[in-house]
Amino acid sequence: MSEIILQTENLSKQYKQRWAVRNVNLEVRRGDVFGFLGPNGAGKSTTIRMILSLIKPAEGTVELFGHNLFREREKALQNVAGIVEKPDFYLYLSAHRNMEIAGAMTLGKKPEKKKILETLASVGLEERAEDKVKTFSHGMKQRLGIAQALLCEPQLILLDEPTNGLDPQGMKEVRELIAMLSGKRGITVFLSSHLLHEVEQVATRMAIINNGRMIVQGSVDEILHASINTMFFDVEPKKKALSVLQKLNCVTAPTLTNEGITAQVAKKDIPKCIAALGSARCKIYTVRPKQSLEEYFLAVTNNEEQHR
Amino acid sequence: MIFTLIRLELFKTYAKWRTYIGFITVGAVIPLIMWLMSYAGDNMMNAQTRSLQNDFFITGNLFNGWTISQFIMNSLWLHVPILISLVAGDQLSGEATAGTFRLVLIRPVSRLKFLNAKYLTTLLYTASLVICIAVLSIGFGLWLFGSGDLLSVESDGITILPEHVLWIRFLLAYTLAIWSMFVIASLSFFISSFVENAIGPIVITIVIIFISLIITNLPIDAVAAYKPYFFTTYFTVWKEAFNSTIDWSKIFYSCAMLGINNIFFYTATVIIFRRKDILS
Repeated sequence: MSEIILQTENLSKQYKQRWAVRNVNLEVRRGDVFGFLGPNGAGKSTTIRMILSLIKPAEGTVELFGHNLFREREKALQNVAGIVEKPDFYLYLSAHRNMEIAGAMTLGKKPEKKKILETLASVGLEERAEDKVKTFSHGMKQRLGIAQALLCEPQLILLDEPTNGLDPQGMKEVRELIAMLSGKRGITVFLSSHLLHEVEQVATRMAIINNGRMIVQGSVDEILHASINTMFFDVEPKKKALSVLQKLNCVTAPTLTNEGITAQVAKKDIPKCIAALGSARCKIYTVRPKQSLEEYFLAVTNNEEQHR
Repeated sequence: MIFTLIRLELFKTYAKWRTYIGFITVGAVIPLIMWLMSYAGDNMMNAQTRSLQNDFFITGNLFNGWTISQFIMNSLWLHVPILISLVAGDQLSGEATAGTFRLVLIRPVSRLKFLNAKYLTTLLYTASLVICIAVLSIGFGLWLFGSGDLLSVESDGITILPEHVLWIRFLLAYTLAIWSMFVIASLSFFISSFVENAIGPIVITIVIIFISLIITNLPIDAVAAYKPYFFTTYFTVWKEAFNSTIDWSKIFYSCAMLGINNIFFYTATVIIFRRKDILS
């Protein structure tokens, strides 16, 4: 199992009488693309701000790369970068100067111009390096935000709702960038979002937070399949397939619907079902979980609401 | 690291348009005063020395660059704080408004180091503005009106300071003026640590200065006991440099009291800023 590089223990934040975040225990391992999922106002940004030392927690600790954030702040944040909510810059300075400031504050010295320009080129902003940031569009600022985060080659990047306000093309680019950061550069990515499909598409592990409390944490597969075993079979002929599935002990409550068949099947038994349907010369077009992450998310957050 | 941070803060400060408002203002006002003085200055000087001329025979150039420079110091010392608070009051609140705390405070630099760099930059700006006033007023004054002795009005009479001591006297006066203005910078900097817009610190600083000045200048016994606690009581320490005999103990005491104010405001800023949640 890979090393834990970010760990929070009972992380809590109180504003007057209201707990914005309560006892959040996160574990992010090296190499993860960690999705931090929750509806608006769930406490995602507050948690990220505490991890990045922008907000002082009321209780709890944060450890980054084995260093306590509050006792060894400089060591803890040495290999960390982030974008909190929308990226803001010194609008009266150029992209290049903004990168220089961000880099110098991490490295303790001015970063090399070549390195800055290479990083700007990696997000497609090399042509605008000397333009003032006030002339940039939201999408360009978002890319510049990613560039400043990448400049000092961090091992962990925290992205707080990175696709907020972007058009579909911009969102796709950010998803591709996250995949590139994790895949090619080996950077651990901590990604908060209220967009469930976004997390489903890019994350390897995830946590769900609602009303300041963490509901679940684990790998996306585990979360989806440990608790979601309703499968959908798009198969022809349907009636023949239904009778095949009814004969299998591992299948519970197979039901014929207009689109296909739904049945309760554990993940490990899916190959057995496919083999049986194949032997019966049924044509299998699709086998997928009936419940998407979105449905699961709504189920657990609604369930949590009801228990409050 | 601290030098890198100071360099960055200096760059950020001097890249802003508002930083130059102070320099442009004094750069425009001082030549304007000089120009007006070149027309009406003689009359003003004659009016000031009319009573002296009955008893004394005055020779030489009393209406000279030094006189003008001292006149400018007397005229501007209430306006310069506004120019200083324009920049000092923007140092922290400006970052909060722009959202750039989220860019810089997630870096592996302690908030104290960041604050130290910002504070030193604020002091450097303050010093540079006062030095600019000194250079412009003395430089233009001597160039346009020539040199000579300085007629200095004290509380208990009039002193004529000879020309050869004036460089030192003005150097002392401007050094003390810089020290006085540091309190304004510290006060504005302190206010900017707990507000989220740059206008607030400017307005609050000016209001505090005016209220303090009113209280410290009230000729009422009831407030006399409280005057030592107001920084404005020591604000005009620079005027001591133009007395016939320099009262060093008064200067040291005033400087110490101003220093205590600086320490108080900066310590309060550190306490507030280190505990501050960045929510903007």
